[in-house]
Amino acid sequence: MTELRWTLRALLSHYWRHPWQALFLLSGLVAGVALWSAVQVINAHAKASYEQADSLLGAQREYTIYPKQGTSIKQASYIKLRRQGFTEIFPVIEARVETQQGMLLSIIATDLFALPTESGSTGVAVAGDNRAWLDFIQPPYQAWIPEALANQLDLIQGQQLLLKNGDLLPPTVIRSDAQQGWQILLDIGAAQALLSRDTLDYLAVGPVDDERRQALEEALPASLSLVKNQQALNLTQLTDSLHTNLSAMSLLSFAVGLFIVFNAVRFSLWYRQQTVKNLRLMGVGLNTLAVALLLEALLWSVIAASAGLLAGYAISLKLLPTLGSMMDGLYGAKMSSELLLKPTTVFIAWAMTLIGLLFALSLPMWQVSKQSVIHGSQLSSKWRQDKVSRKQLGILSVMLGLAAALLYPFIDSVLMGFVLLGLILFSAAWLLPYLLASGLAAVSKVTPKQRPLLRWMISDGWAQLPTLRTAMMALLLALTCNFGVETLIGSFRTSFTDWLSQRLTADIYLREQRPEIAALIAEGKSTGWLSDTHARMEMSTYWQNRPADLRGLVPTAPDTQTLPLAKAIPQAMQLWNESDHSEPWILANEQVHYLAGIPLGGSITLDTVNGPQVFKVAGFFYDYGNARYQFYLPRQMLLKHWPQARDSGIALWVNHLAEGEKNTSMSMAEKAMLKAGFAPGDWITQSRLRAVAMDIFERTFTITLAMNTLTLIVAGLALLTSLMAILQERLPQFAGWSALGVNRWEQLMVILIPLLLFVTISWLLAVSLGALLSWLLIHKLNVMSFGWSMPMLWQATPALALAVLCLSLVLFSVAVTHWRLRSQLPKALAQLGSTG
Amino acid sequence: MNVNVTCDTLAINQPLSRTKGYSLCLLLWLVMGALVPLLGHAEDDTSDAYQVLRQQVDGFAEVTPDRPFVFPDDHGPHPDYRIEWWYITANLQDEQGKDWGIQWTLFRQSMDAKPVLRGWESNQLWMAHAAVSSPHEHQYAERFARGGIGQAGVLSANRRRNYQQPFEVWLDDWVWKSQTASPFPSTLSYNIGDTEVRLNMRSSTPWVLQGNNGFSQKSGKGQASYYYSQPHIQVEGTISHQGQHHQLTGHAWLDREWSSQPLAKEQKGWDWFSLHLESGDAVMVYRLRQTDGKHWLSGSWIDTKGNSVSLASTDILLREKDYRWVIVNQDKPSQAKKVKLPLSWEIEIPRLDKRWQVDSLYDQQWMNTQFPYWEGIVKVQGSDTGMGYMELTGYPVEIIR
Repeated sequence: MTELRWTLRALLSHYWRHPWQALFLLSGLVAGVALWSAVQVINAHAKASYEQADSLLGAQREYTIYPKQGTSIKQASYIKLRRQGFTEIFPVIEARVETQQGMLLSIIATDLFALPTESGSTGVAVAGDNRAWLDFIQPPYQAWIPEALANQLDLIQGQQLLLKNGDLLPPTVIRSDAQQGWQILLDIGAAQALLSRDTLDYLAVGPVDDERRQALEEALPASLSLVKNQQALNLTQLTDSLHTNLSAMSLLSFAVGLFIVFNAVRFSLWYRQQTVKNLRLMGVGLNTLAVALLLEALLWSVIAASAGLLAGYAISLKLLPTLGSMMDGLYGAKMSSELLLKPTTVFIAWAMTLIGLLFALSLPMWQVSKQSVIHGSQLSSKWRQDKVSRKQLGILSVMLGLAAALLYPFIDSVLMGFVLLGLILFSAAWLLPYLLASGLAAVSKVTPKQRPLLRWMISDGWAQLPTLRTAMMALLLALTCNFGVETLIGSFRTSFTDWLSQRLTADIYLREQRPEIAALIAEGKSTGWLSDTHARMEMSTYWQNRPADLRGLVPTAPDTQTLPLAKAIPQAMQLWNESDHSEPWILANEQVHYLAGIPLGGSITLDTVNGPQVFKVAGFFYDYGNARYQFYLPRQMLLKHWPQARDSGIALWVNHLAEGEKNTSMSMAEKAMLKAGFAPGDWITQSRLRAVAMDIFERTFTITLAMNTLTLIVAGLALLTSLMAILQERLPQFAGWSALGVNRWEQLMVILIPLLLFVTISWLLAVSLGALLSWLLIHKLNVMSFGWSMPMLWQATPALALAVLCLSLVLFSVAVTHWRLRSQLPKALAQLGSTG
Repeated sequence: MNVNVTCDTLAINQPLSRTKGYSLCLLLWLVMGALVPLLGHAEDDTSDAYQVLRQQVDGFAEVTPDRPFVFPDDHGPHPDYRIEWWYITANLQDEQGKDWGIQWTLFRQSMDAKPVLRGWESNQLWMAHAAVSSPHEHQYAERFARGGIGQAGVLSANRRRNYQQPFEVWLDDWVWKSQTASPFPSTLSYNIGDTEVRLNMRSSTPWVLQGNNGFSQKSGKGQASYYYSQPHIQVEGTISHQGQHHQLTGHAWLDREWSSQPLAKEQKGWDWFSLHLESGDAVMVYRLRQTDGKHWLSGSWIDTKGNSVSLASTDILLREKDYRWVIVNQDKPSQAKKVKLPLSWEIEIPRLDKRWQVDSLYDQQWMNTQFPYWEGIVKVQGSDTGMGYMELTGYPVEIIR
């Protein structure tokens, strides 16, 4: 026991003398754990939020009562149901309003008195301020805004938010309640006043048993229907791919972190060779030594896991607003704005750290244990060893590459896709040392014989290679992912923009169809500003147990005729327009093709009012960013099968008589709409709609980009730490060279030239590997995750940007190294004779 | 001793009570006039909950003597006054002669001196309390609603317009409804969980104006209310309870009261009795407990014909015979509380040569609502035998640690 204690003390004392080594070790572990745990926290948080999706402000919402036609429920219908004793029902209004800056905000309103909250559930807590209740339900009312959202909007307590249409929200109260997510909570009276309406959107129904549900169904007027809530289930299904993607990215950064750890562990052991040798000479057994090293690992894992979790929590706090608004935009999922760190996350983080550390320790420990107590020249033995491990890694790499090639034809799930990516990445990473060595050999071969100094500088690379190897692998991984993801996003952005301009051809979109519209169209046609219209219908249903939307299009409308199709049978649009088939043709979004696996010409069975009806797919249209299945039918066909389908807005094409007159006809159109009784919030212009779509798009990828950058930072750190290690390790050599008259510039070149060579090779490999990665992401993973396809666009800019980044990283590292060299060289020179 | 009474600890957990987490905290402000922070006053939470009744708010109509009562107009709401209630209690018997009781009350509170009656912005708030005391078990529930949207309210005929408007008092499907402009005959129907109450009520005796012609003084400092009653209501109907239908008959008592400030600052609560005696006579007495010990007493004696005699402070002797602990939230130990209540009394009216012992039928008749109080069936013995209802408010609830 005493032996173990003293051995451990001797081993740990090393870090007191070389605190920077402790720092490297920790930075790798912390970086890996931080990103991983950040994603864990976010994913767990999101999933917990989905589970609560069937609740509202602590009240469970088992069913929802929707209007069969139109978009609103009369208040009288609600009161009638309450007076029949259905106290499980509460009224809800949900709306979106636009701020002056063009940000879209979700509003949710209900009557807090009516919420059927079971005792014991959370409900809206009165945070010390009892007055809040009164002010919330009485004019001028209050807007309860979650803190994070208030910060985003720059709102302070009591302030009233000015909306785009000039309306003011009620005074701000910063507080957040259960399942409020990123929505603004209003009293139903406040919402009606704000939106100038006297109706409700839907009625939510709290827990009811079968008997009660039946009674409610019987009591419902014919205009309303009771629908079971499946939001929790739906959201879990819909967002599954997204969370798998996030997890994969976090595991990748954990892997990058492990490379650093591996490096750091090797250095720390290498440095302690003398200590280990002395300990063994003193009679400390290999077993004791191994136990002591394991204890050391345990200690580091505890410290690193705690620090990593803290950092991860901080990162997740930063990423949460982005994710929150993205989830709302994409899936309509409401995430609460408060985070929880679960004990399981903490435990797994620690276990991962420990296992990673042990994994990183195992190889160097095995080497140390095999090491003879007394051995010859360190450097040459290290070079020999390096050659062996290069070969071993190369063989492993080929094996992984083969496994990837074998696996490729069989991938059919997102998870397997990521396994394939992992295999490819690690195969490439382990091949890198071999490539670096070959590159170095090739360069030394072509270096002119009459330049001895240059030849020396290049061949010094052999001394640097063992140390830099792991850092280069980490850098390669990070560069590859960065480039791959950049290409993916770039390709997507281009496809998305093109698609938007093909899809959004109308000039004005009216959100709701109202009786006034007929007069407006007549007026537009007669005064000439209006050239075309398209009144669509829509209907929500379920297909293959997932929510699906049915849209009824007018076949002659301009945007129907130019509908971009990803895949289609010949004359698809013509066939689609013919309604006299027993199995009519239908158009489906790509998601139906890729996620549900329906081929072109395949059958789709949908429940209509007259029972199931089979449709055949004539074509698949692009539908970027949609998490739901969608089908297009001719308007008449939709009405024939689903008479309950409702109007979903109308698109207006403005007449552009001459090029310069667009603004004139647009302003004519706007004036006409105002005159017809529409309010400014009732329509949206094409440019505005496009901006909103792009905004949602950008939000979707903010989180990916953020994680991408973080991974790159981790890799940069790895490179820097390795260089520092090289410097420390070779300080005596530098001192020797100085004594031989090699000047500082030449010393710098000795580090810089091989490094530049290595980084260039890594960059070249990363760019080609990144292209492969993005190809896989676009053609396999994206299609499997989200169900849409797009062409891949290879761009030089991100590759060049990465080159610049690498160069700066190298220069920065070298500068730091140089600076340290200057401060430490005199001491090393003084010790030159003594250690020799 | 300064224990935080959070909304959780006030939560009601009787299995059949429809408690609303929201409403829990709602009443905290309802009863506090939203001014006095209640949190942190555990010892006193019940008495403080009655702050709304003591608080003086300017701008509301004042209660003054010699106001002529006009019926049916006065059966309807008086939104110029801050608070008002329609309060029914009934002592009933089933076919086996077992004692049952019900309480059903609709409270109105005006949040502002300028009443807004229509729409969600209405400042008229409604709260309903309902209870059923079966021979073995006391069940209760409470509900809340805003005025102005038709979810709750009182409709009453008016001499000038709507003179044929049938009288109706409701919140959701808890309804007391008459076919005519007169409150009687009428039906009262409500449910607490799966206990359903459906009672027919009729009455033929005149309204009893309490106090001085309906002006009921509550202190020597001007606090007063308008108060009238109907002590003689014949009831028959059914209560279905735990799957069984019970045919019930008995007597109900209606209290109508409205005011803008019924309690004085130093009044902690009240003890109120309405007794139906076997002779057919009825008696009502109440005591407002003052911190200085000089309690305010008042009451009335009503004979079978409905003729009443007002009883002044000097006419009534009220003695607590026994204090007993009532455990609140017995089934949820973490939220359990206890309250010490005088559940055994002696009432003496020397002027009428009457002395009665009044005892609770059983002790567990606590209304653990936002506005917590004890209200339940009492037995009368002594000069007469009979049954009645007793209400005890403002006693401190203690948290059991």
